Amino acid sequence: MTSVGTGYDLSNSVFSPDGRNFQVEYAGKAVENGSTTVGLKFKDGVVFAVEKTITNKLLVPGRNRKIQTIDRHVGCCYSGLIPDGKHLVNRGREEASSFKKTYGKNIPLYALSERLSQYVQAYTLYNSVRPFGIAAIFGGVLKSENGGDNKPQLYMLEPNGSCFGYKGIASGKGRQTARSEIEKLISADDFDIETFSAKDAVKEAARIIYLAHEDNKDKDFELELSWCSLSETDGLHKFVPKEIYDEAVQYAKEETGLGEDEDSEDNDEDMDE
Amino acid sequence: MNHDPYSWGRPTDSMYGQYNSQIANAPTSLEGNMASGANQHTTSPIVTGTSVVAIKYNNGVVMAADNLASYGSLLRFQGIERLHKVGKTTMVGISGDVSDMQYLLEILDELTIEHNYDNDEYSDNVDELQPDYIFTYLANLMYHRRTKMNPLWNALIVSGVNSKTGEPFLQYVNLLGVKYSSPSIATGFGAHLAIPLLRKLADSEEEAQKLTKEQAIQGIKDSMRVLFYRDTRSSKNYSLAVIDKDSGITYDNDVNVEDMSWKFAKDIRGYGTQKV
Amino acid sequence: MNGISTDIQHLKKGEVNLGTSIMAVTFKDGVILGADSRTSTGAYIANRVTDKLTRLQDNVWCCRSGSAADTQAVADIVQYHLNLYKMQFEEDANVKTAANLLKTLTYNNKDQLSAGLIVAGFDKQSKKGEVYSIPLGGSIHQQPYAIAGSGSTFIYGYCNKNYKEDMTKEETIDFMKHSLSQAIKWDGSSGGVIRMVVLTDNGLERLIFYPEDYENL
Repeated sequence: MTSVGTGYDLSNSVFSPDGRNFQVEYAGKAVENGSTTVGLKFKDGVVFAVEKTITNKLLVPGRNRKIQTIDRHVGCCYSGLIPDGKHLVNRGREEASSFKKTYGKNIPLYALSERLSQYVQAYTLYNSVRPFGIAAIFGGVLKSENGGDNKPQLYMLEPNGSCFGYKGIASGKGRQTARSEIEKLISADDFDIETFSAKDAVKEAARIIYLAHEDNKDKDFELELSWCSLSETDGLHKFVPKEIYDEAVQYAKEETGLGEDEDSEDNDEDMDE
Repeated sequence: MNHDPYSWGRPTDSMYGQYNSQIANAPTSLEGNMASGANQHTTSPIVTGTSVVAIKYNNGVVMAADNLASYGSLLRFQGIERLHKVGKTTMVGISGDVSDMQYLLEILDELTIEHNYDNDEYSDNVDELQPDYIFTYLANLMYHRRTKMNPLWNALIVSGVNSKTGEPFLQYVNLLGVKYSSPSIATGFGAHLAIPLLRKLADSEEEAQKLTKEQAIQGIKDSMRVLFYRDTRSSKNYSLAVIDKDSGITYDNDVNVEDMSWKFAKDIRGYGTQKV
Repeated sequence: MNGISTDIQHLKKGEVNLGTSIMAVTFKDGVILGADSRTSTGAYIANRVTDKLTRLQDNVWCCRSGSAADTQAVADIVQYHLNLYKMQFEEDANVKTAANLLKTLTYNNKDQLSAGLIVAGFDKQSKKGEVYSIPLGGSIHQQPYAIAGSGSTFIYGYCNKNYKEDMTKEETIDFMKHSLSQAIKWDGSSGGVIRMVVLTDNGLERLIFYPEDYENL
C-alpha cells in the first residue's frame, strides 16, 4: 500500500491519489481476522455455519449465539466486529418490518440485500463515520403464498457496500480453505443442487468449518449451525436441532480427522437447554 | 351498558345526562374554525364483530366468537375469524371494529417476530410469550390510544395458560383502556346474555377450579346459542378455542350452533287472548 | 395556521359522489370487474358515462365507490407506489400488495376519506383471479367475488344464490350483467351503462353494455 501513512488513510471521505479509500480497506482487515463463517445453498434452502473461537474459558458453552435472525425467513451470520454485525442485523429487521407493513408480504431477499448494501455503502462516504468492520452472509428462502416455485437465495455483503449472490460463500480467517472447499463440493461431477438436501448441506457446512479450523488448531472452538429450509423448517430460520447437529459434528470430525477434540464433546452436552 | 358497538365509549344518559352531540360535532382542526383546536378522530366503528365469550376451567380456558363481520345491520362478511393465536399458549378474541382488529393483528405479528429474534426454541435464555405479557402490551396500547383521543374501537379478551406455571389466564380490555379479570368474561351482548349463564357454572375462581373442560365447553356452546337467538348481529357459525395446560391449544373455526329449540313456535297464537 | 379557511364539512356535503353499483368476480381464467356509470351530486347526475374501473397496474384494477375525489386521489397514490415498486424490484407487484397499499391508505386516513373500494387482479404466479374488498373503515377482505356501493344492497340475495366457482367467461359476464342490471333498476344513485374489464393471462379486455342491452334480460 503505497499511500499508507501519508495521511490518506485517516478519513473516510478522502480518496488517496490512486483512488482508494483506505478506511474501507482497513475494515476489510477486520473481516479477514474475524471468525470463519460459511453460508451454503441447497435444494430448498440455505445453511449457516460459524466457527466460534473460545476467547475466554469463562464463557458459557452453547450460549452467546452468533448467528441471528433478520426476519422469520432470513438468517444472518458475519465475521469481523460482532457489534457492527448486530447493528446491521437490527437495520435489516427494521427494513424487513417496514417492507411487510407497506407491501403486505415478506421481504424478498434481493430487496433486503439492496437496502442493506445501500445502508453499508453510506458508511463509506462521510468522515464522521467509520465503515462496517464485517462481511455479512445472509439468506433464506421465501415460502410462496400462491404456489410459485421459490428458490433459496444467499448473499454476502462487504464493508464497501457491495453485495453479491452466491451458491456458497465463506468469510473470516479460514475463508480461503473454506471457499476452495465449497468450490470443490459444488463443481464435483456428481453434484446436483436439486438432490443436495438440507441434511447433506448441514453436514458439509460443519465439515468445512472443521477443515478451515485446521490452520488455527491451537484455539478451541464451538460450532454453530442454523438453516432455512422449505422441507425442514417450513421456510423459517432456525438453529439446527440437537440430533442433526450432533450427526453433522460427528461427520465433520470423521472426515477431517479432528475428532479427538475434548472440548467440543463437552459443549454438545449443553446445547439443548 | 349498551351492548351495541356504536355506543361504546360514550357516557351513559343515566349517568351524565344526554350526550352532547355538539362535542362530537365540534369543528376539528382540519376545518374552518381553527380557533377551537379540537382534534377529532374515529367516532364510530364501520365493519364490526359482535361478542366474544370465555370461561376458565380446572385446566385452562375456553373461548368463542362467531365468524361474522357486520356492516351496520348488513351481515356483510361471513367467515371472518376473530380468535387469534399469539405465541404458543395464548388466544386473543377481538370484538368491535374489524379494521382495527386487523391493525392489532399486524402489531401482534410484529410483536411475536421481535420476541423470537434472539429467542427461538434452541436459543439463549428461552422465554416464550406468555398470556400476561400479551395482555399487558395490549392494555397499554388500548389506553394509550384512548388517551390520544383516537381509540381502537375494540373490546379484547386475552386467554391462555402460562407455559411456566400452568396457571390459566383470562382478562379483558376495551377501547377505554378499562381492564379486568374474572373466571368468566364476555364482550358486547355477551356481557348481558352469556355472563349469567357462565356464572351459573362458576361464580368464583374456586368454582372454576372444579369445572371440567367438557362442562366449560358446554357452557360456552350454550352461551353461543343464546347469543344467536337474541343478537341481531350474530351468526350461527362460530370459532371455538380451548387452551389447555396439558394439550395446548385446540382451535376449531367451523362450529355451528346446535340444539336449538324452535318447535314451540307452533303453539303460539296472536299476542294475548287470541286462540286461533 | 393563517390562510384561507374553508368549511370542509360544507364542501363535503356538496361533493360529487359515486352512488354506485360495483362488483368484481373471479372465474376460471381470471377476474372480471364491473360497474355502472352514474356520478351524482345530490339528486343531479353530474356525469352519466363515468368510468369507475381504474387501472392500478396492468394486471390489477379497482372499482371505486364513495367520494369521487377521495377515490381518485387514493387510486393515484397507489398507482405511484406500484410504479415505484416496479422500478425498484424490476417486477410487477402482487394483487395482494396493491390491495394492501390501498388498505393502508384508507385505514390511516379513515376520518378524512369516504372510499369503498374493490381491488381485483390476475395473479401471475398462481394464474388465478383475486378479489379484495376494502370497505369504509379500511379493513381488507379477500373474497371469491365482491359487491359494493349503494346499489349492491339490492343484489346481495341474487348474487349469493347465483354465483358459482370457476364459471366460464360468458357465464360470469352474464351473471354480472344480471346483477348490475337489478342494482341499477332499484338504486336511484346507479345508472347509465355497464362497464366491465376482463383480466386474464391474455391481458385485458374492456366491455360495455348499454341500457337496451341489460334492461330487459
